[in-house]
Amino acid sequence: MSITIALPSKGRLREQALEVFAKAGLPVEEPADQRRYRARVGGRDDIEVAFLSASEIASELGQGNVDCGVTGEDLVRETLAEWDAKVEIAARLGFGEADVVVAVPDIWLDVSTMADLDDVAAEFRQRHGRRLRIATKYWRLTQQFFSQMHGIQVYRIVESLGATEGAPAAGSADIIVDITTTGSTLRANHLRILDDGVILKSQACLVASRRERAAADAALLADVRARVRAAVA
Amino acid sequence: MTRIPAIAPALTALFAERSAHMVDVPVIQPADPFLDMAGEDLRRRIFLTESETGAALCLRPEFTIPVCLDHIASQAGTPRRYAYLGEVFRQRREGGNEFFQAGIEDLGETDAAMADARSIADAHALLSLALPGRGLTVTLGDQSVFEAVLAALGLPRGWRMRLARAFGSAEQLEAALADLANPPKASALPGRVAELVADGDRAALAAQIAEGMAETGLSPALGRTPDEIARRLIEKAELRSVRLSAEAFSALKAFLAIRASLDTAADVLEGFAASAGVSLGAALERFSARAQAVAGHGLPVGAIIYDAAFGRPLDYYTGLVFEISAEGAARTLVGGGRYDRLLTLLGATAPIPGVGFSVWLDRVEALRGGA
Repeated sequence: MSITIALPSKGRLREQALEVFAKAGLPVEEPADQRRYRARVGGRDDIEVAFLSASEIASELGQGNVDCGVTGEDLVRETLAEWDAKVEIAARLGFGEADVVVAVPDIWLDVSTMADLDDVAAEFRQRHGRRLRIATKYWRLTQQFFSQMHGIQVYRIVESLGATEGAPAAGSADIIVDITTTGSTLRANHLRILDDGVILKSQACLVASRRERAAADAALLADVRARVRAAVA
Repeated sequence: MTRIPAIAPALTALFAERSAHMVDVPVIQPADPFLDMAGEDLRRRIFLTESETGAALCLRPEFTIPVCLDHIASQAGTPRRYAYLGEVFRQRREGGNEFFQAGIEDLGETDAAMADARSIADAHALLSLALPGRGLTVTLGDQSVFEAVLAALGLPRGWRMRLARAFGSAEQLEAALADLANPPKASALPGRVAELVADGDRAALAAQIAEGMAETGLSPALGRTPDEIARRLIEKAELRSVRLSAEAFSALKAFLAIRASLDTAADVLEGFAASAGVSLGAALERFSARAQAVAGHGLPVGAIIYDAAFGRPLDYYTGLVFEISAEGAARTLVGGGRYDRLLTLLGATAPIPGVGFSVWLDRVEALRGGA
């Protein structure tokens, strides 16, 4: 009888997650060797900790391979189809804040809303012989926002694996959907967020898998969740 | 592999009888044409894979685009009627992922009224053969009539485009109309730009924007041009000073509410035009010609309904769209329409008009089984 908690393996996200768990009375005993990816919570042999990358945590939660974990809401919504059938957001942790936004070149002075973008996308093919291109690593969020929410059908997504904000200047895409915290990277690249272009206000969350589990494990998970919630309240 | 429908040989015979030639297209298709035409939303509904060299491929999700691509590649002459019967593959939450479709694509026929009517008649004949004795209802819409109404009401180009795009989706049309009745506030423009917009000086505005592009390292050769941005800025400013009049608004509403059987639809449209004080000109003539051509096929015109609000929000549909459903069946059995822009979009060097339909044979088989 035990549960597994997945925590980010690197950087600020890892440190802040560990802080929250310590404050919740669940101090993670970090492995002596930082390269090891397994740990335990002090004094508890019923809780196992796995260090994974934040996006792996989202997919592991979706598959039910771990019981709960700390990852960004953006990654949960992006990685998992029908995410809310597979996992639930148990607590928002108040760090790792970032917005997923639609940004266009600042010089597109005529484009300030999604409705403007709809106009531009509709005529793009006729003018340029190709569809409007959006660089992003957020396929799912982009499709949902453009196609389902704003009824914009005609655009193409160009997969971007880093430095998305450079795509318009490089000519590999016209606009971008990317994550931003302060907006300074966007500004430095002469990009501007649309007035109604915030797709998601994301932050780090404690996310629980909705997989079936034994009553004792469910109680254990509920306890972890209550402690974490109290710690960030 | 799913079992070939029992009705297949009879359908193949029907196609031959109606001089549509069977065509075979590969199951594995380049994915880009589908995503380009139907949009990225299709991505989650098709089966995508990649070639060793990184080209995006998919299992054919429908036949129209492959048949048109095949026609372009073979440089076949027109007019030409292609028939198909085969499996298509889509990711669906319910039901199987592979199922049969059959249909006819009619390419290059310049008599649009005749070809439209024949497409409806072919689809109707196919269903009558597959589902003998069952009542069929045809619903048809026409994007070009809607566009004619927008033009006749004197709406500015920007609005017409926006409304025409939303045609077929009640929700989006509602949102677009609300925006037009009450346009969102203008965002602030840099001082010099605002002046040039107010003056309507497109050339100077474009020069100003070109300067801005150069400063920010954005190449006008790679995407939107300064002139394009300037034109739209001025157009937006003009649109803000116009309001959709109450009369035009209620005329649009009245138009969209029209539902009439095809034998009376042209009269109803004429009545609408008279009461709104507009002329629908050539669009109405084409509509009447088509209605007469349909009647000429001896179809039960009372069971063919014109629904003024019926359309598909895809930019390659240009005129007629239609659906056929059967008595006692919830789901549509046939979808069809005119796609005069599609072949050019797919790379044909000269425009080739096209009209076609597709039958969901899995749904037809289910009805036959349950009959």
